[in-house]
Amino acid sequence: MGKNDAKLNRRQFLKASAAAVVSLAAVGSVAYWLKDKSDMRSRGLLRPPGAINEDEFLFACIKCGLCVQICPVRAIKLADWDAGLSYGTPYIDADVQACDFSCDSIQCAETCPTAALNFQVFKKAGEEAVTELYAKYNNKLPADVNPFKVQIHAMKRVYHLGIAKVDPEKCLAYHGKGYEGPLTKHRAKLRPPGKDERVHTDEIHVKREMCDLCAVYCPLGEDAIVMEKTGEGRMLPKILEGCVGCGVCEMVCPTEPKAIVIEPAEL
Amino acid sequence: MAYLYDLLHGDKRRKPLPPKKKEELPFMREGISYKEWHDRAKGRHTWRNRRWMFLIFINILFVISFTFDLGILEGSLSGSRLLGLYLMDPFNSLQELTIAGTHNYIPHLTTNFWTGFLTILVFYWIVGGRAFCSWVCPYHFFAELGEKVHDYWIKKRKIKEKTYDITVKYVFWIGFILLALLTGELVFENLNPVGILSRAIIYGPGLALLWVILLLSYEVFGVKRFWCRYVCPIGVTYSFVGDLSPINIKFELDKCGHCRDCQDVCLVPHELWFVKRGAATREVHYTGGDCTKCGLCIDVCPGNALSYGIRDSDKIFGK
Repeated sequence: MGKNDAKLNRRQFLKASAAAVVSLAAVGSVAYWLKDKSDMRSRGLLRPPGAINEDEFLFACIKCGLCVQICPVRAIKLADWDAGLSYGTPYIDADVQACDFSCDSIQCAETCPTAALNFQVFKKAGEEAVTELYAKYNNKLPADVNPFKVQIHAMKRVYHLGIAKVDPEKCLAYHGKGYEGPLTKHRAKLRPPGKDERVHTDEIHVKREMCDLCAVYCPLGEDAIVMEKTGEGRMLPKILEGCVGCGVCEMVCPTEPKAIVIEPAEL
Repeated sequence: MAYLYDLLHGDKRRKPLPPKKKEELPFMREGISYKEWHDRAKGRHTWRNRRWMFLIFINILFVISFTFDLGILEGSLSGSRLLGLYLMDPFNSLQELTIAGTHNYIPHLTTNFWTGFLTILVFYWIVGGRAFCSWVCPYHFFAELGEKVHDYWIKKRKIKEKTYDITVKYVFWIGFILLALLTGELVFENLNPVGILSRAIIYGPGLALLWVILLLSYEVFGVKRFWCRYVCPIGVTYSFVGDLSPINIKFELDKCGHCRDCQDVCLVPHELWFVKRGAATREVHYTGGDCTKCGLCIDVCPGNALSYGIRDSDKIFGK
């Protein structure tokens, strides 16, 4: 290789490097700009259980989609480019398929390799509950007490996706109306409270004199939502402190647009 | 250390062996014409077909695992689980580690993260670093098809061949690491055609595919294999791993007729520097970290001078 070749090579390298640095700087500036513009909380992305602080979420989440795959009801989806820097990160579209509480161990958080969905919170709560349970019965559990159920129950109490908000104007019950028809028009999975099996919601025919589907199908029942009398023949769901924002109420709400929606938690 | 240095740079620095005399060339030894010898490898696609089948199989495995809930290969190429064993994209992991130094991030480096990262490093150290590119990466597959169209356009003289300095990929590699550090986000993952394609295949297409299409059309009508050759930091990460890989493409000088067809089909022709007449410094050479072990050169070689081999196996086990 001659001396001139070396010089030419160096010039070529410098030219290419300059182009590389310029394009990297452009990408960086766009990333910075998007960071200010796209505040995902205001866009209302409902993150899966255990999601950490939104700013940290964007570097912890590697967009692998393991949480999408493990969810037994396929509630989790990956965001597209319209979500800016949140592209590829998981969210729940409660309208279509809510997180219905029917899983065995909050697997989405458990499977996350970078703890963008942090399982430790749930693990701790579950372990504490089981310890408490054993202490309560002096280490001798009666046959009808299932420690596993107690554990998962405690784990689900600490998860917090958001909170349900009711818009009275759209609510059927507020206008004293009932509802008859399929539970949802599209096919979604749901485990009704008190049942062991999941069902397809479009196969369930419901008939209510006064619409109270959100309260009936809430996995947390009276801890989270009750129907409150607001006048003669009128009622309105009232959201209580127990609400964790799973979104089942939004999914089963028969109005269009929904009278009850989940407001994502300020993470 | 001396062995390591020799492994990486030694061969190129040595004094070249004297160029073969005409009667030493393989076709002269066999007493046939160059054309007859050269036509032997025509239409041979053994390794390419095996590789494409494997690549499609892996990517389909992701899809059917998800669709039928089989749990064999879950996730995507950014991070996955093979029968419960975590696997992580090494460049993603490196970015995470960089960020971990500046943010309060250590708790997020879970056991699963470390198993995935280290398993990938060890596995690709064994099978040869950038073997990921040609045997797994879905973008490589489409880029390979695009390359055929590109070559056709070149042949028709519709476009001119243009190359850049290949070292520029290290600038991109450092740049993307710095971007992760400065923004505290995985910026590269938003532009990563491997991740985008993999997610599109498994979870359904999205707007992000437009970027992949743009890149591909630039490769077809602009610069040959632009992303893979000059930008992709995932490939660079794998090439660091593959620099010391035992499995490599082995070159035997006495079978080589210096037709240099191998360099024409190669994604990284500089790795085959020793096929030029009078360039080889040893009787046996092995390719380096940039080599994707795709086997195109093996298919195209009329003298079978190129083959898959274990580096320095002749020194260890004897010939």
